[in-house]
Amino acid sequence: MDIKNEVLYRVYFLLFGIVVPAAILLLYRTVQISIVQGDTWREQGENNYVRYKEIPADRGNIFSSDGSLLATSIPYFDLYFDPVAPNERDFNLYIDSLAYCWATYIDDTYTVGGLRDHLIRLRQDSTNRHLMIKRKVSYAEKKFIESFPLFRLGQFRGGVIAEQRSDRRRPFGVLAQRTIGYVREGAKPVGIEGYFEPYLQGDPGGLYMICVDRKKDIWLPLQDLSAIDPTPGDDVITTIDINVQDIVENALLRALNYHEAEWGTAVLMEVKSGAIKAIANLGKSQEGWWETYNHAVGTSVEPGSTFKLASMMAMLEDGFVRLEDSIDIEKGKTQFYEDVMVDSSPESEEIDTTTVRQVFQMSSNVGMAKLVNQAYGGQGDAARFIRRLQQFNLHIPTGIEIEGEAAPYIKEAYSQKDRWSGTTLPWMAIGYESRVTPLQLLTFYNAVANNGTMMQPYLVSGIQRNGEELETFRPTVVKRKIASERTIRLAQELLAGVVLEGTAKKLFTDRYSFAGKTGTAQTNYRRLSAERTRIGGYRASFIGYFPAENPVYSCIVVIHNPRAHGYYGSDVAGPVFREIADKTYFATLDIHEPVNTQPKPKLATAQLPSYDFGQRQDIRNVMEYLDLPVYGAPTTDLVMLRAKTDSVFMDKKTLFRGQVPNVTGLGLKDALYVLENLGLQVDVQGVGKVALQSIRPGTAAQRQRIKLTLQ
Amino acid sequence: MSTVIARLSAELRGDRSIWAVIAVLAVFSLLGVYSSTGTLAYLKQGGNTEAYLIRHGIILMGGLVLVYVVHLMNYSLFSRLAPGLMMIAIPLLLYTLVFGVNINDARRWIEIPFIGRTFQPSDLAKLALILYVARTISGKQEYIKDLHSAFIPIIVPVLIVCGLIAPADLSSAVLLFFTCVLMMVVGRVSLQYIGLLLFLGVVTFGVLVTLGNYFPEYIRVETWISRVNDFMFDPNGGYQVQQAKIAIANGEWLGAGPGNSIQRNYLPSPYADFIYAIICEEYGIIGGAILISMYVVLFFRVTRLVTKSPKAFGAIVAIGLSISMVLQAFINMAVATHLVPVTGVTLPMVSMGGTSIMFSCLAFGVILSVSRYVESLES
Repeated sequence: MDIKNEVLYRVYFLLFGIVVPAAILLLYRTVQISIVQGDTWREQGENNYVRYKEIPADRGNIFSSDGSLLATSIPYFDLYFDPVAPNERDFNLYIDSLAYCWATYIDDTYTVGGLRDHLIRLRQDSTNRHLMIKRKVSYAEKKFIESFPLFRLGQFRGGVIAEQRSDRRRPFGVLAQRTIGYVREGAKPVGIEGYFEPYLQGDPGGLYMICVDRKKDIWLPLQDLSAIDPTPGDDVITTIDINVQDIVENALLRALNYHEAEWGTAVLMEVKSGAIKAIANLGKSQEGWWETYNHAVGTSVEPGSTFKLASMMAMLEDGFVRLEDSIDIEKGKTQFYEDVMVDSSPESEEIDTTTVRQVFQMSSNVGMAKLVNQAYGGQGDAARFIRRLQQFNLHIPTGIEIEGEAAPYIKEAYSQKDRWSGTTLPWMAIGYESRVTPLQLLTFYNAVANNGTMMQPYLVSGIQRNGEELETFRPTVVKRKIASERTIRLAQELLAGVVLEGTAKKLFTDRYSFAGKTGTAQTNYRRLSAERTRIGGYRASFIGYFPAENPVYSCIVVIHNPRAHGYYGSDVAGPVFREIADKTYFATLDIHEPVNTQPKPKLATAQLPSYDFGQRQDIRNVMEYLDLPVYGAPTTDLVMLRAKTDSVFMDKKTLFRGQVPNVTGLGLKDALYVLENLGLQVDVQGVGKVALQSIRPGTAAQRQRIKLTLQ
Repeated sequence: MSTVIARLSAELRGDRSIWAVIAVLAVFSLLGVYSSTGTLAYLKQGGNTEAYLIRHGIILMGGLVLVYVVHLMNYSLFSRLAPGLMMIAIPLLLYTLVFGVNINDARRWIEIPFIGRTFQPSDLAKLALILYVARTISGKQEYIKDLHSAFIPIIVPVLIVCGLIAPADLSSAVLLFFTCVLMMVVGRVSLQYIGLLLFLGVVTFGVLVTLGNYFPEYIRVETWISRVNDFMFDPNGGYQVQQAKIAIANGEWLGAGPGNSIQRNYLPSPYADFIYAIICEEYGIIGGAILISMYVVLFFRVTRLVTKSPKAFGAIVAIGLSISMVLQAFINMAVATHLVPVTGVTLPMVSMGGTSIMFSCLAFGVILSVSRYVESLES
């Protein structure tokens, strides 16, 4: 083989053995990617550069009936820094001053130099593209941080990333906290927040973002595809009156503390409508008393003596008893089969025979059980008793707009499943072997107060959007008449009697009338009878309404397992009811009878304000509220009042520049306004009006410190 | 127009087909670079894509001038220059390995004093080595099958140069090594020894990997491993390759049209390593096929040259330079089509980059110089 041919063979081998096959392979592969697998890759491409970004909607607010914010969302921002985003020139130019601002205003754990080196290192490593600047900053603070050197170049050139979030706040803290509730990821929704989620959440909007720089992960909103603005959630207007709620929650809290109880609940309902004006639930937690569980709605328990109203009404409906009938209560102790029943009140030990009225008013277990047993103990008669209880709607939930209402439990007559026994009927008569929630029982009492019309309890009166009424929830009648008029009238009479001469007589007041029933349920009596010991747990309760003649509010108070200072319903729960009733009665002006029907007394100069001064608008508001006529139209912000014979004259009040004025008698707001405008630094002590000022009036004002004592 | 072409062809000596290949590649280069520098322009020039177009256009014009000048020279001059070039290239490679500028995590560049531009000595070394190997092979044709007097003197410089390039730029080193092996095949070196050489190459690579564990600063073993992993185990071939495939798929048969690439925004350095994908996206499979065929035509025309070249040096240097470009081009395209792991090689004459285009033009110049000589003999 000659040299030339050997070279040629080898060259052709390269051409046809390597180059041409390689070219064909490449072409084949290109066609395969582009055509055969084309759809797969193109689809991957789609996801690459356009993505949908959801814009969360602002959550609706929850308002109290008086327009106070119970729950609202406050926006805040988490700020991050991408040290790789800025270009080399900007980064080097601004890094020193940025580090200075950062270390000075945000994070003083770093020195300026240390922070700068840290940032430079991060930029070189380019591993952390999401360096936390600060969490939870307000809008104002965000603006401030974004004005730092480098950051002020904007998101793309400056590398500062702001992520908006929002916080749910309850401005009134613990007040009705559990009832307001929450919606949290990974937790069961609770309360009004949970139930009205569809209204509150709004509709998230969204827009398409396009990635303009994959490497730096820069996304810009795509303009031509329509961005959908989020629809903010609607506002929920509750029936809760924040002032009444405050009263109820505080009264309950004090009692729980005093009696060292486990938990307690109190609900105040408007009799005519069923609107819940206040609902408090307090339980002991590690951080003290807290709204941890909505016992009023979610805890169904044996009610004890408060259930006797239902037993009594059943018998009255069936005509088995008259209030003046007499009954032997066997000195407060009797036996049904093998079980012994005793009266909890020691008074019973001296009584043999008494009236039905007395049995109810002094809450005799023996008397009530015997009455019911006589009435319904006959063959098959227990079913009538159960039917009466069902007539009072005690067997169905109220349907309150809160998640997690517990269902009541009323045994079916003679039911094997419900373990009906010979002792069931007498014990049911006094409120055992059945379970109802505090709210269900209150709804029943409320119906009695409302002359037999049972109202649906409700917490939300309406839905608003941008302050405009969207939906209004009217009071709902559940049952027009739960019992005959006569039964209702007698029940009201009995409940009033409990306060006048029965178990609640120590709660009596002559300032207003109220009616109600005490309850003292034993909580672990089953174990008690087994061990034959008397270490008992109790649940004290009181349910009633006020004023007795023309009821406006009904209220239940339940205190579970009090361990100090008594355990009777009248000692533990009753006083809470009284405190709530007292304060609500006097806070709610429209309940009162007019104090004086005589003509208005003449204004006397001596009683009129004189030489008081303050902000013009404030004074006007006060005068308007008091319905006092004022004259004069001064132009100054500060005005002084001068009493005339039957009116008040408003005069201008001028302060001498550079002189400390006399501020005694002023409210703190006005005193601060005046003094700080003069450049003084004010220290304050006490509450009330200014009683003493540490610098004498007329002294030259030279930015001194002045101390005010308020009284 | 026709007079311009007539005037040009009168000026241009050598194989007109090769000239045509150069022209077509230059056009692809201009189009590809213009549409793919969008992100670069956005980041560095405030969105001014023309700045890159003009700069690239000037480089291409300079390159064509270089081809013209070099093709007029007598190619035997390069044979004489080869040892000198080697003497410059080897120290430069050593210097780069130790003091080179680190760009994209690889120490491949050195800064030219006073000008402030960076420059890849491996490009120079590649040219020098191909010239040197061609010179040695052609000089030892009488006893080319001998081990000591022919084979050893040929492979020693090959192993030295490839060994010096490999730590920072393994793919270039491997390409150069295979180029030299194929030159030896054509230069009638005993196939037995070539087999031995392949074995030696594998051993050298093994030593490099071992050394890499001790000097990670200088030898990029980690990068190699991660790229091979991406290739072997990621069905998409890693992020870059996935983006390249999306680009190719976007083009379908006819392409999205000039300037309509979307993937240029997602492909890292679309103007260099992945320019083939961008060309496929904008000009479709048709565009890709034309591009591939250009390199095949180049090699085909060079084989024709071999059959006619009376002197061994001319033939072997033309084969060496063309096989180097074709191999590099195919590897570049194979990366974009997920046939081999990601390497850092550019598409000769097409990818943006001053040195890369200058050395491609130099190579074309030498090939055309050989062609001009063959042509002058024929006429």
